[in-house]
Amino acid sequence: MSNEITREPTIAAEAESKAESKAPAGFGRKKFALDRFVIFGAFVVLFILFSVVAKNFFTMRNVLTLALQTSTVTLMGIGVTFTIITGGIDLSIGSVIALTGTVAVIAANAGMPIWLSMVMGLVSGIVCGFLNGIMVTGLRIPPFIATLGMMMVARGFVLTITNAMSKPAPDAFGHLGNDTLFHLSSKFPGIGYPVFIMIAVAIVFGFFLRKTRIGRYTYAVGSNEEASRLSGIKVSRIKVIAYIISGFCAALAGIILASRMVTSQPNGGISYELNAIAASVIGGTSLMGGIGTVAGAVVGSFIIGVLGVGLTMSGASFFVQQIAIGLVVIGSVSIDQIRYKKK
Amino acid sequence: MAEVLLHVEHVSKSFPGVQALDAVSFELRRGEVHALVGENGAGKSTLMKILSGVYRPDGGRIVYKGREVRFQNARESAEAGIGIIYQELNLVPHLSVAQNIYLGREPRSLLGYIDDRKMNVDAARILRELNVDIDPAVRLNKLSISKQQMVEIAKALSKDSEVLIMDEPTSALTETEIDELFKVIHKLRSRGVGIIYISHRLDELKHIVDRITVFRDGRYISTSDYASIGMEEIINKMVGRKLENLFPERRNLPTERKLLEVRNIVHGTVLKGISFDLYEGEILGIAGLMGAGRSELARAVFGADPRDSGDIIREGRKLDIRSPSDAIRNGIAYLSENRKEEGLAVKMRLDQNVTMANLGEVSRRFGIISGARELEATRTYVEELDIRTPSLLQVINNLSGGNQQKVVIAKWLFRDSRILIFDEPTRGIDVGAKYAIYELIERLAREGVGVILISSELPEILGMTDRVLVLHEGSLTATLRTADTSQEEILNYAAGLGSLGAHGASAALAASASGAGAPGRNAAPGASAR
Ligand SMILES: Nc1ncnc2c1ncn2[C@@H]1O[C@H](COP(=O)(O)OP(=O)(O)OP(=O)(O)O)[C@@H](O)[C@H]1O
Ligand SMILES: [Mg+2]
Repeated sequence: MSNEITREPTIAAEAESKAESKAPAGFGRKKFALDRFVIFGAFVVLFILFSVVAKNFFTMRNVLTLALQTSTVTLMGIGVTFTIITGGIDLSIGSVIALTGTVAVIAANAGMPIWLSMVMGLVSGIVCGFLNGIMVTGLRIPPFIATLGMMMVARGFVLTITNAMSKPAPDAFGHLGNDTLFHLSSKFPGIGYPVFIMIAVAIVFGFFLRKTRIGRYTYAVGSNEEASRLSGIKVSRIKVIAYIISGFCAALAGIILASRMVTSQPNGGISYELNAIAASVIGGTSLMGGIGTVAGAVVGSFIIGVLGVGLTMSGASFFVQQIAIGLVVIGSVSIDQIRYKKK
Repeated sequence: MAEVLLHVEHVSKSFPGVQALDAVSFELRRGEVHALVGENGAGKSTLMKILSGVYRPDGGRIVYKGREVRFQNARESAEAGIGIIYQELNLVPHLSVAQNIYLGREPRSLLGYIDDRKMNVDAARILRELNVDIDPAVRLNKLSISKQQMVEIAKALSKDSEVLIMDEPTSALTETEIDELFKVIHKLRSRGVGIIYISHRLDELKHIVDRITVFRDGRYISTSDYASIGMEEIINKMVGRKLENLFPERRNLPTERKLLEVRNIVHGTVLKGISFDLYEGEILGIAGLMGAGRSELARAVFGADPRDSGDIIREGRKLDIRSPSDAIRNGIAYLSENRKEEGLAVKMRLDQNVTMANLGEVSRRFGIISGARELEATRTYVEELDIRTPSLLQVINNLSGGNQQKVVIAKWLFRDSRILIFDEPTRGIDVGAKYAIYELIERLAREGVGVILISSELPEILGMTDRVLVLHEGSLTATLRTADTSQEEILNYAAGLGSLGAHGASAALAASASGAGAPGRNAAPGASAR
């Protein structure tokens, strides 16, 4: 959060020990740790709060369901974080969810093996991301507009090819979304595959963003595009990669959703992009670009997830949930601003 | 003796890991120009930000017009009559010049609407006082950096301040604009305004300064009447040791081997067919007035701007350079003149900026960055360039202006290029650090690197280079051997007046017209080593 960027604790520790410290070299790190702690702390507080207020909240079963339900927002949040760090945005991911899930179901119904149909879905998401990237870089359309256009086109497309009707998929299509690992008893019904996918994606992309050259360039492009270009960074390529990652993550979420329902959902995913962006922002991503982390997006998603499930179980209506999530978005960003200003 | 307007008493300020100011004192009288000098990171800008209410001091008092003040924000200090021109531009690119000047204090008509007409008229009056040709209605981002700086100055003037702080106002100005600024400073002084003047161009101080205060490492060192102190003494106080020479001795000669042949570069009307060679181990200067196309030439060679035609040949092979990454791959590096806009990712950390143009060097397989190697590289350059920072992981935004400039240099040194183009590398850098950078350039040349040095400071060109290209309005007017030329001759060609012999009389004209030649202003304090 604030103006600190991904910081590998081990690197910071190295720096602290090696840098001939004329002054306490690790101060920045402590402040950063505190920042992380604040959102994570908020998550824990919420969790405890709901455990007290809603009787059945803190049961293993419920926690697992929560993880399962939150996996789609988390995946989308991770993807969109990449585009936001480059200084862009991806509004199309809600529609991409519907499109990719539907493409996969259609492919499966056409007799393709399930795995191949899902790959088809992923490919369609990657294509959407690629097109977004081309519009933003090649045609120099502002990301907000380009992806807004894609949001409408993709939605219109999926509604056209399906006639706006959900179609059931073969039973085998539902395994991915509904099966679990480590099923022990009714108390511990096992961990759903989507949760593993979410964890894997978070680890892989978190590492990618933090530790690889392309990840570093993603920050650089968002922080100062011209300086990046003059440093020899291929700015367009980096941006296209960011949009492809966003499309890919949304496609994963779309396939998981379709699989959980075992139907295509041409009307699904409407306004999900807003939740994903909110999750990313709660997690400390700056819409100005240059700042944000995968871990932040994950925690942000879970805050939204806990709020949703917790409030439902406490008997609050969906409308109240909306209010709560809105307030959390505003609150988390203003805390950032206040802390930034204090300096 | 004039009344004391402002009294800073034992003010301290620390940032995480840095004691930026350690109980410093400072005094400003009515109607004086008081210079504040010190190395990069000495705390000059920090004190000014405290005076203008941006930061609050940790300790000490500020007495303004006999009363202790504690400004909570910039607005309060402005209302009290303290105006400031910040080191970095603080303007809104998409607003007009007049809208920028009156931002936050727009004149209202009776009905409460913004009175655009009055605003434009008032802005025009102030700009006229500065003698600059800027249309108040034009959008700010249509102006050159130097014109934007003049707008920033106009904005400060429009506030009728009693105290005016100028933090390196001239670092981005042309010589004529500097002359106009000095005239305005004289006018303000006679009106009784107290002016705090911060600059690393020590030679310009003598035109305006009454007293001078030196800071070093966040501490107050001394205050003297400018007339009673020599330049050498000032420099010694600033850097805390004796500085023998301004330029290092050149210890090698360029070889016969051509590193780079540039042929007939054309870019619109900005570059009209320029050719030159660069030899191994050579330092080649590019001189010219603002707008002559010096940076544009460098950018065209580097692929930062498209070029309409022209070839770039390296070791007999024509290079296909269409983007900076092509140039970098071919061993060419370019340090741009605007560090904030083009050189740095200010939200990112020091180490991340140093390695930005050469991440491959600190990466393992699959493009995975090695944090340890990255820090090691960073540490090397932090030490070599004496970058003042509390940590290798400091966010660039928190470094002082001059230290940010050093980070840009570090970034390109780390890239290890065979051809290095430095565009105004010492702008905003203190005297001691300047010497370190010259030494570095000299060492690079000794190692066989071809260096192109673009500079507006002629002593720098004369003190460092082997040959000089002189540009005038996009054309190459002369290629001179530095040892056989003079400031006057360079200026003559820069003004497009041809050789000295042919137009002997015009030399003085060119010099006074451009201002750059006034030997007094740019002449280095102390003799150059060469
Ligand atoms: N916002 C900040 N956060 C952390 N450190 C800061 C901040 N601003 C300044 N510093 C540190 O305080 C010290 C003094 O900085 P300051 O900008 O006052 O130097 P300066 O004398 O103006 O230098 P220059 O000539 O390079 O502009 C520097 O070491 C700088 O790194
Ligand atoms: Mg400064």
